[in-house]
Amino acid sequence: MRTGFVIAIIISCLSAKAAVIPVGLQERVTRIKDAVALAKPGDTLLIRPGVYREGNIILQKSLVILGESYPVLDGENQYEIFTIHADGVVIQGLKFINTGVASINDLAAIKLLESSRVRILQNKFDNTFFGIYLANSNHVWIEENQLQAEAEAEHQIGNGIHLWKCDHITIHNNRVEGHRDGIYFEFVTSSLITHNHSEGNMRYGLHFMFSHKNEYRNNTFKDNGAGVAVMYTREVTMVNNSFIHNWGPSAYGLLLKDIRDSFITGNSFAENSVGIFMEGSSRNKIQHNRFNQNGYALKLQASCDDNEIIQNNFQQNTFDLVTNGSLVLNKIEANYWDRYEGYDLNKDKTGDVPYRPISMYGTIVERMPQAILLWRSFLVLLLDRAEKAIPVLTPENLIDPLPAMRPYDFN
Amino acid sequence: MRLRLFLLSILIGGMIGCTAKPEPLVFGRDACYTCKMTLMDRKFGAELVTQKGKVYKFDDLNCMLSFYNSGYEDVSDFKFIQVVDFANPEMLIDAHHAWYLKSDNIRTPMASEVAAFEQEEATRQYKKEWSGILMSWGEVQTQFK
Repeated sequence: MRTGFVIAIIISCLSAKAAVIPVGLQERVTRIKDAVALAKPGDTLLIRPGVYREGNIILQKSLVILGESYPVLDGENQYEIFTIHADGVVIQGLKFINTGVASINDLAAIKLLESSRVRILQNKFDNTFFGIYLANSNHVWIEENQLQAEAEAEHQIGNGIHLWKCDHITIHNNRVEGHRDGIYFEFVTSSLITHNHSEGNMRYGLHFMFSHKNEYRNNTFKDNGAGVAVMYTREVTMVNNSFIHNWGPSAYGLLLKDIRDSFITGNSFAENSVGIFMEGSSRNKIQHNRFNQNGYALKLQASCDDNEIIQNNFQQNTFDLVTNGSLVLNKIEANYWDRYEGYDLNKDKTGDVPYRPISMYGTIVERMPQAILLWRSFLVLLLDRAEKAIPVLTPENLIDPLPAMRPYDFN
Repeated sequence: MRLRLFLLSILIGGMIGCTAKPEPLVFGRDACYTCKMTLMDRKFGAELVTQKGKVYKFDDLNCMLSFYNSGYEDVSDFKFIQVVDFANPEMLIDAHHAWYLKSDNIRTPMASEVAAFEQEEATRQYKKEWSGILMSWGEVQTQFK
């Protein structure tokens, strides 16, 4: 009885406090700006279908803004649409189109400044300069949004999801296409990035710098101008992501530059110019990944040390591994290499003779890219065989001592 | 004799054709030599050209200076040291005579937080806006050592 009374009081308080303000042409309030001015913290603005051209809307109250059948907010190629500086905001079910484009200011469809506990859910972004832009914010959920842009030159377009100095952010199940970088992080920590799809962006599908302790799971990065680049970061976890068809002279499935103490496991690298390019990276574990049909599966620069490359599948790559030095400071062990021609007499499922993943021709091409013309010629075949017997150019110690006889089944 | 003169002129012509000179930065295509990132932001960038004509391109001032100080090429070997003028996107200017502004309000590709300018007037104007620190080439060099 008593608890019922308490609940009734709570409900009456809530209903008294949080009002729903419908906004639309047929409603009492026709403009979102007016509704924002009218509303008290905690209220809900229900936006009816229609097109709203109101320039820049500044939000400094905790409001829930809900769209009904995707009302359109048009930036008329001039304005930033939402600028938010408030905690506990929800933006859901809106469609943002045509923000302004500027070279000095980063205009965005939704810009969040120094806010926390904000949720940005199920919105659509069409032709926005920056889509979702967060600075100095924390505990934000960005889920199930669709961002699409069709710019011709890279200076006409910003990043899809852009985060700067944030922490504890969840980015889940979004789709980003045609931006400069699909997802961009700078100084972002302790965040979770899962099930996103980033395709056809001008530069990188995912790009982060100085962003420690983040976790990336089950994302797909496909057909981006230069693939994915991650730099100057430690303690990254990348699990079960797909890096597909990132093709071009300076495109990498995954570019690791100065990455330390990280895990890269269960990922798939298929049809990239370079599967993974590593430079200045140490103490990383690269395990249980699939490398299929890449130009170079792995480019390991001599500046990398103490990395473990174990139990991966290398299949149908033009070159399995190339490096630019003779020092071997990394552990390469128990991988499956489809080029391995050894035998397994004691039937322990590992080859009895070590595999040399670096071919001489790969080394020559690394030093002199023009030599690619001779690829698959008889001469190259002969040289590669001779080099296998008596290594001259390739680092003698760079071997996989226990190559697997059969590909691993990661499913 | 005439043949010799002809050959000599070809030789000289060839040498003139090969002189070291700066190349424009192609944004969206060129990659930074240090950080490997594709150049995107037209307001920032730098270039080093050696006496022999080898061109190194960079997306940000700190990338250029870390290479400049790395010892990979002799510092005295750089014939041209150029930076992009913030006020004139894509335009390369001589780094020795540029004005530099450092402020954490400047978002650069590799977080150097430094913008370069050719004109003093533009520098002063942005200095007011960003409340930055004004620097010369010598000071910028020591910033990233």
